[in-house]
Amino acid sequence: MTTSIRNITKHREQRYSYGLTLLREEMEKKYPMPKEEDVGKKVVLKGEGINLAFGGLQALMDINFELKEGELLAIIGPNGAGKTCLLNVVSGFYRAQEGEIYYRDRKITHMSSHGIAELGLCRTFQNIALYTGLTVIENLMAARHPHIKYNFLSGMLYFPWASDEEVRQRAICEDIVDFLEMDAVRNHVVGSLAYGLRKRTELGRALALEPRILLLDEPMAGMNRDEKEDMARFILDIYEFLKIPVVLIEHDMGVVMDVADRIMVFDFGKQIAEGTPDEITVNPKVISAYLGTEYAGV
Amino acid sequence: MEQIIKLIVLGLCMGGIYALVAVGYVVVYKSTKVFNFAQAAMITVGAYALYQALIVWSLPIWAAVLFTLAVGVALGLLVERLLMRPLIGQPILAPIVVTLGLMLLLRGVILMIFGGQVYGYGEHFLPLGAWHVGFVTLPMIQVYAFIISMVAIFALIQFYNRTRMGLAMRVTHEDHVVAQNLGINVKRVFQYSWVIACVLGVISGMLLGNIQGCCVELDVTGLMAIAAILFGGLESIGGAIVGGLTLGVLQMLTIGYLAPLMPGEPIMMVPFAFMLLILIFKPYGLFGLVRIERL
Amino acid sequence: MAIHRPCGTFDRTYYEAKAIFRTRLQWGMITALILALYGIAFVMNDYLLGLSIVIFSFIVAMLGIQIITGYAGQITIGHAAFVGVGMYVLACVEAHLGWSWWVGMPLAGIGAGLISMFFGSPSGRLKELYLAFATLAAHFIIVYVISNWESMTGGVDGIWLSRPEPLLGIDFMVEHNYYLLALTLCIAMIYLAKNLARTKLGRAFVAVRDNDIAAEVMGINIFSTKLLAFGIGGFFAGIGGAMYAGYNEYVNVEFFPLMDSIWFLGFLVVGGFGSIFGAICAAVLWKCLDEMATLMTPVFSQILPGLAFYVTASFSLIMYTLIIVIFLVLEPRGINHRWNIIKASYRLHPFAY
Repeated sequence: MTTSIRNITKHREQRYSYGLTLLREEMEKKYPMPKEEDVGKKVVLKGEGINLAFGGLQALMDINFELKEGELLAIIGPNGAGKTCLLNVVSGFYRAQEGEIYYRDRKITHMSSHGIAELGLCRTFQNIALYTGLTVIENLMAARHPHIKYNFLSGMLYFPWASDEEVRQRAICEDIVDFLEMDAVRNHVVGSLAYGLRKRTELGRALALEPRILLLDEPMAGMNRDEKEDMARFILDIYEFLKIPVVLIEHDMGVVMDVADRIMVFDFGKQIAEGTPDEITVNPKVISAYLGTEYAGV
Repeated sequence: MEQIIKLIVLGLCMGGIYALVAVGYVVVYKSTKVFNFAQAAMITVGAYALYQALIVWSLPIWAAVLFTLAVGVALGLLVERLLMRPLIGQPILAPIVVTLGLMLLLRGVILMIFGGQVYGYGEHFLPLGAWHVGFVTLPMIQVYAFIISMVAIFALIQFYNRTRMGLAMRVTHEDHVVAQNLGINVKRVFQYSWVIACVLGVISGMLLGNIQGCCVELDVTGLMAIAAILFGGLESIGGAIVGGLTLGVLQMLTIGYLAPLMPGEPIMMVPFAFMLLILIFKPYGLFGLVRIERL
Repeated sequence: MAIHRPCGTFDRTYYEAKAIFRTRLQWGMITALILALYGIAFVMNDYLLGLSIVIFSFIVAMLGIQIITGYAGQITIGHAAFVGVGMYVLACVEAHLGWSWWVGMPLAGIGAGLISMFFGSPSGRLKELYLAFATLAAHFIIVYVISNWESMTGGVDGIWLSRPEPLLGIDFMVEHNYYLLALTLCIAMIYLAKNLARTKLGRAFVAVRDNDIAAEVMGINIFSTKLLAFGIGGFFAGIGGAMYAGYNEYVNVEFFPLMDSIWFLGFLVVGGFGSIFGAICAAVLWKCLDEMATLMTPVFSQILPGLAFYVTASFSLIMYTLIIVIFLVLEPRGINHRWNIIKASYRLHPFAY
């Protein structure tokens, strides 16, 4: 009895330390992993002079940003500062009135949302936006949609190759489910899951889409300390293992200061500061935005 | 030229009734966010209730009209309490199916009681005859119908703007939860909206029954009025009035100019084609608000 | 759903995990059911055979609206008109081109699919209620065109057409042979729909239904997905219409009134949203009730002589509405959900959970 338990434990450890293997293999087939010398230097995502207004409300004012290869960029700022708006502009859900966005030197400003997602800009949502009627595994499979290689007719007729492709994709999704430690609920309908698990499913869904840049919109909002640590661990694991740059919007300063390479601070649609965590903590503009002007001078 | 003016005037008269029906749709939609397809059947109910009181029971006009309005009130209360209240909070398909079903239910009940014949009020309701204004001949029933519709709509707007309940209803239009937190009885507001809509429905039913005769197909006329609302967006009473009048004129012009060119009865099809065109080019109505979606 | 499996059945491969029928018992039961359905063709009388054929065609049509509304979430109040387009495409192909039913039937499906896609195309910009208006308009426009394009459709007189030509020596003028054909087609279409639902496109449909904004941002082209939903749903409607028209040997615009469009939607709710089994139940229930109402006519004519026709018509209207409303209020997830509960409680007996 004990041996078997130990075996299982060992097996599980092994699985986690090498998690996401299948996904990584799948991604390596399509494009090479980033080179060492590019990390931290080559720009993968760039926004130039983005302006976004809803009627008279200026949501984003002349935003410029750069995301480099293998970088974890955090965006912080008070509520309503325009952080989510920026992500929405990047993923093509809102159209900026002015400004351009480039992804690896390719202009994506006018691409459709699903085209941008297929390029690999995958995101999670602040207010959970899962497909509530599907199970966890089906949610992940639905996100594999652009990568599944058979047309709907062979799906309807269920040709052998369609069946094989389903199984291959299923294996990749199960791998992600294992990585996120959600095996117990893989067949549960998402609508019935607890909040933390839903947030995790969102992360899994973004992973299933084969991200080349991961855009996370408040992945830890409303979680307790343990759940935040879990989530931070997952994000760092993904970041290390897939070697992809991550954009993280988060309100928890502890987490942000710990994990981010670089931080951008927004206030009222304007970018008020940018720099490493150490620089940001002493920046007077940031302090005045968060704590009030009287603290900024100190 | 004479022809055009004639058609436009007649169209405006007809459009008044469309506007009344359309406002009925809008009242319920604004308050409850349920689109009441059964408004179309309220017209039939109104027409037949008046027929029952006026012709079968030979009541005097005032009593017959009062009876019809009472039927409208009772129907509104019943529908709201029995059908719509259990569906609060259900996905959008549920109210659509229920109101469509209610439309057919009312059609069924009327078929069962009255059979499928077409009835008319003859000269017992509004005076027949016509006025001659210059070269335009105006049938009195059309003019009276227009006037009554406009008076009813005017009364509704006054109710919204002048009374306490009207204020509560306007608050509820904005947000149900907020309204409830402010101490407004939202269920009561829903009840009022349904009653108002049903009363407007039976009024337009009386007028339409007078013009077109009582038949179960009157509800198709009600469905045509949907085109009028789309014209102005689902939540605007002003838009519904403008839309109704436009629809009436458009329909008359079609009868005048297009009908000889087209086979069959394009009068039935035109409002729907019009509706489809509006939806394709202006999805939220010509004056409707465009929602900004959030993620 | 794993819960409906007997204890001890484990999935060892993903092939097993995604199978429709997992255990031998399930395979045995479905085989027995299909064999029985084929077998009773030779014992039923013509009346029952006719009813069954109508049910089979409406199952196929109901699968169509299940795909459009149940899976992809695009509300349509014009489904009966799409079925009608299928009937008329078949009739026109037979009457004007002289082609047989075997060619006309797939063409009916494709024609209805294309028309359905055309009227579904506003779905790119419209949602929910507004789309319902657009399809409602579609119904009236289709009916207008069909009843007035006299050179093509014969106007209100309708068109006479013929049954399928004999194939492999089977004469489809014989009632039970047509029954077998309809049953085979019906099973094939159910299989197609089930596969559609569990593969790539089916998941995309549900994604669009549950959260279309997220679906767009997660790499699903929602406009083409919605169009495909309309196209495939219309295809099913067209095939259903062709089966029905082929059996009746006559088509007429009276075959698809607005009422039917509403009943399609209403019974879909009764059957259960987003499930193939629900669509089958819905069609069977609807057509059986229809038949019951017809059987009641002589009874009514004895009680209320002279009014029987209207009473029958109104009786079915009232009965259907009451059923739909009762289901919406008491069991919004339809027969399918209730059936799953029954299966689960049988499996878990004597425990209640």
